[in-house]
Amino acid sequence: MKRLLKRLREIRNNTRRMLTMNQRNLHYIYPYNHRRYFPIADNKLLTKEVLQDAAVAVPDTLLTYDAFYALRTLEEELCAYSDFVIKPARGSGGGGIVVITRKTGDTWYSAGGTAYNVDKIKRHITDIIFGVYSFGLSDVAIIEQRIDQHPFMCELSPLGLADVRLIVHKHEPVLCMCRIPTQASDGKANLHQGALGIGIDIDSGLTSHAIFKDKQVTHHPDTGIELIGNTIPYWDQVIAMSRAAAEHVPLKYLGIDIAIGTETPLLLEINVRPGLQIQNANQIGMRPGLEALRYQTGQTNSQANSWKPDHEA
Amino acid sequence: MNKVDTTPPVQAASSRTRSYAYFGLMVALLLSAWGIMFYKLYVLDYPLAGLIPSVSYRVDLNIDTTGHGDDIKVSTYLPKTDHRQFIFSEENSSGNFNFAINNDTLNRQAIWTADNVQGRQSIRYSYSVESKHVQYSIPDDMPIPKVYSDELVPYLLAEEGIQVDDSLIAQTLAQLFPDTTPTVLEAVTTIHRHLQDNFENRNFSGFTDALTTLKLGEASCNGKSRLFIALARKLNLPARLVGGLILKQGSKRTSHQWVEVYIAGHWVPFDTINDHFADIPSNYLTLYYGDLVLFKHTTNVNFNYSFTMVKRLVPKREALELLDHSSLNVFNLYTIFEQVGISQNLLKIILMIPLGALVVVIFRNVIGMETFGTFLPALIAAAARETGLIWGLIGFVLIILISALVRKMLDWLHLLHSPKMAIMLSTVVIVMMTMTVLGVQFQLFELAHVTLFPIAILAITAERFAIIETEQGTLKAFRITFTTLIVIAACYAVMDSLFLQSMILAFPELLLVVIALNLWLGKWIGMRLSEFIRFRKLIFAKEAQA
Repeated sequence: MKRLLKRLREIRNNTRRMLTMNQRNLHYIYPYNHRRYFPIADNKLLTKEVLQDAAVAVPDTLLTYDAFYALRTLEEELCAYSDFVIKPARGSGGGGIVVITRKTGDTWYSAGGTAYNVDKIKRHITDIIFGVYSFGLSDVAIIEQRIDQHPFMCELSPLGLADVRLIVHKHEPVLCMCRIPTQASDGKANLHQGALGIGIDIDSGLTSHAIFKDKQVTHHPDTGIELIGNTIPYWDQVIAMSRAAAEHVPLKYLGIDIAIGTETPLLLEINVRPGLQIQNANQIGMRPGLEALRYQTGQTNSQANSWKPDHEA
Repeated sequence: MNKVDTTPPVQAASSRTRSYAYFGLMVALLLSAWGIMFYKLYVLDYPLAGLIPSVSYRVDLNIDTTGHGDDIKVSTYLPKTDHRQFIFSEENSSGNFNFAINNDTLNRQAIWTADNVQGRQSIRYSYSVESKHVQYSIPDDMPIPKVYSDELVPYLLAEEGIQVDDSLIAQTLAQLFPDTTPTVLEAVTTIHRHLQDNFENRNFSGFTDALTTLKLGEASCNGKSRLFIALARKLNLPARLVGGLILKQGSKRTSHQWVEVYIAGHWVPFDTINDHFADIPSNYLTLYYGDLVLFKHTTNVNFNYSFTMVKRLVPKREALELLDHSSLNVFNLYTIFEQVGISQNLLKIILMIPLGALVVVIFRNVIGMETFGTFLPALIAAAARETGLIWGLIGFVLIILISALVRKMLDWLHLLHSPKMAIMLSTVVIVMMTMTVLGVQFQLFELAHVTLFPIAILAITAERFAIIETEQGTLKAFRITFTTLIVIAACYAVMDSLFLQSMILAFPELLLVVIALNLWLGKWIGMRLSEFIRFRKLIFAKEAQA
C-alpha cells in the first residue's frame, strides 16, 4: 500500500514534468508568440531577412520566383548552378523541397537520383507558386544554396540533411535534439514522418537518447551507426546562434532548426508551434526547464508589441 | 515538486484582470441560465414531468409488385388518429401508382392503382405514430345490458368465421357459466382466462374461424379473437375484431388481431395471445376495425410487403401544447420559429449542434483524438438523424473516400486551389445523388437520406483527407478517419438522447451552460489521455527523471 502510494506520487511528479499540448498552447504559445509575428517564422524568406541583422548564418538565397511570368528567365539564371535546393517559402513538414546535387549537360539530378530538366524544374516551381505545398495560398519559390553537411553529420545522417531542433524560451535553449532522416521518413527530418530523434545535452552537445517511431534505439535503423555518446560539431556556436536568433525575433517560445555545415552552423527555419516529441527524444519532461526561466525578463506580447517588422505595411 | 504556477510574473497585472473577467463571465453565464430556468419552472409553471419524452415509431410500409402488362390494384388499411394513437408525418411515394384514400366511419383504406404495369413496381407509405398505453376498469356489479342502440346491433350478429349461433358456442358458454347469467366483468374475465389459459397460442398466419379454434383448442391471434367475439356476442355483449401492428424496432410482415368489447360506452380491448385484459399496451397500433383482410391485391402480381419500424423519442405533445399556451411566450422558442416556418424538429437539431460540438471539444482536448475538422463530427451526427448512425457512418466514409480519390486525380492535373475545391464540391454532390438513387433502388431508404449531409464541409474534409494522405501517409489518414467515426458516434449518442433534446427544447438557455463549460475547457491544461500514452515511458519511469 505504501509502495503503491509512493509509486502514484512518482507518476504524478513525472506527469508534472511533462509539457502537454494544452499547456504548451495556453501557457507558452499564446502568451509568448503573438499571432502578428507568426509570418516571421512561417515565411522562410522573411525569417532570413529578419535574421540578416542578427549576424546569424543562413543558407544563401540564390533566386526567388513569385510569379509565373518570372519563370521565363529561369533557364539562363539557373544554368550557372549545379547544386541548389528548391523550397516553398511557406511550406510545412518538408513538403515541396527538392535537393539538386549535380548537373550533367542540361540535366540536373536530385539527391535521390531523379533527373530534372528545365521543364521539370519549372513545373515544380509553378506548383510552389500556385500554393500546392502551402495549404492553397499562393507562395514564393526559393532557390537557395545547398548546405554542405559537416563530415561528421554526413556519417551520422547519410540519407539527407540532419538538423538540430532547439526549443528556445525567453532567449534560452531549454531542450534540443538532433533529427536524422531515415528511409522511413523519405529523407525528411520530421519525427512524425519517421525520422530519428536524438536527445542532446545542452551543455556538452553530447547525444544521450534516441527514438525511432516511438521506440528507444541506440543505432541508426538503416546504417547501424551508433547514435549515442557523440558530440555534435560546433556545439557552442549552435547554442550561441539559437540565442542570437531568438533575441532578434519578437517570439519567445520557439523551435529553432539549425543545420551543421562544414564551416559553420546554418539556421534553417524557426517554428512558432514546436512539437512535444522532443521530450521523448531526451527522455525528459520540459516543464522544469521552462519554469526555471519564469523570472527571466523575457518580454511577453504586451511589451513586444512595440516591435514592428519592416514588412508590415 | 510544488504545485506548478506557470503564469509569468511580468504578466501578473493584466492576467489578474483577465482571470477576473473570465470567472465573472463564467458566473454570469451560469447564473443567467439557472435564473431563466428557475423563472420558467416556478413563475411560469412549466410542466417538468411533461418534458420527459415519449416513444414514437416511424413506420414504413413497403409493398412490391411485379406487373405483366395488366392493371394492378392494391389496397390496405392505414391507421387513424384517435384518443389513443396519434398519426403524423404521413408520406406516400408510389411511383406510377395512383393513390387514393377511402374514408369510412371506422376505417381508412388506401388504394393504389396503376394501368398496364410492366415489371417491378414499389409502393412505400410512411407515417409516424405516437400511442399510449390505456387500461380500463370494469365495474364489478354491472349486468349485461338487454338492449343496445341500433348502431351496435351488427356487433351482436353472426359473421362468416364468427359462428355466434352455432350450438357449440352455446355449449361452451353453458360450461363456462353453469349457474347464473354472469355480470359483464364475470363474462369477459371468464372468457379471457379460458382463451388465454386453456388454448395454445399458435404462430400460424392463416385464417381460423371461431369453431375451428374451439374444436382444436389452439389458434393464432385471429382464431382466438373470433372465438372471443362469438362467445361475447352470444352473451349479448357487442364485440368486434381489431387488426393492427405490434410496434417494435425492426422489420416484419406479421400483423396482429385482438378484440374490443363494448362496455358502458367504451370499446374495451382484450388480447388473449399476449394476455392483455381490458388493457392495451402503448406499442399496439390499430389499423382497422372489423373482420377484414389487411391487404387486397390483384392476383398474379408477385405481391410482397413488409413493415419497417424505427423507434424514436420525441417530446410529449401535451407538454408542447401546454408550453405553447403558457403566458409570456418570449421564452418559448417553438412558436416563434414556427411562425417563420422552421419546424420543431429542425429547431431541435440546431439547438443540439452546440452540444455535439462540446462532445468534439472533449474528444479533442481532453481525450486527445484527432478528427477531421473541429465540428465536422457534430454536423455529421446531426445529419445522420435521418439515415441512422450506421448508414450515416457508411455514407460518410464512402463520400470522403470517393471524393479524396477524385482529389488525388485532380492533383495530378495540377489545378489551382479554388477551382479544384469547386470540383470537389461537385464531386460530393454527385456522389450523394448517386448514393440516394442507389439507396432507393436497393431499398436502402436510410442511405438515401445522405443528401442531407453538409456538402461544403464534406468537400473540405475530403481535401484534408487527401492532404494528410500525401503528407503523413495513408495509415495516418485512415487512422484519423477512424477516430472521426468514433467521435461522430459519440456525438450521435449525445445528440440523439431524448432527455437532452427535451431539456434543450424546453430550456434553450442551457446553451449558456454549454458556453460556460467551453470556457472552462478553454483554460484546461490537464494532460490529454492520448498524452499519457505518448509520454508513457517518461510518466511511468521507475526512477525519477534526471
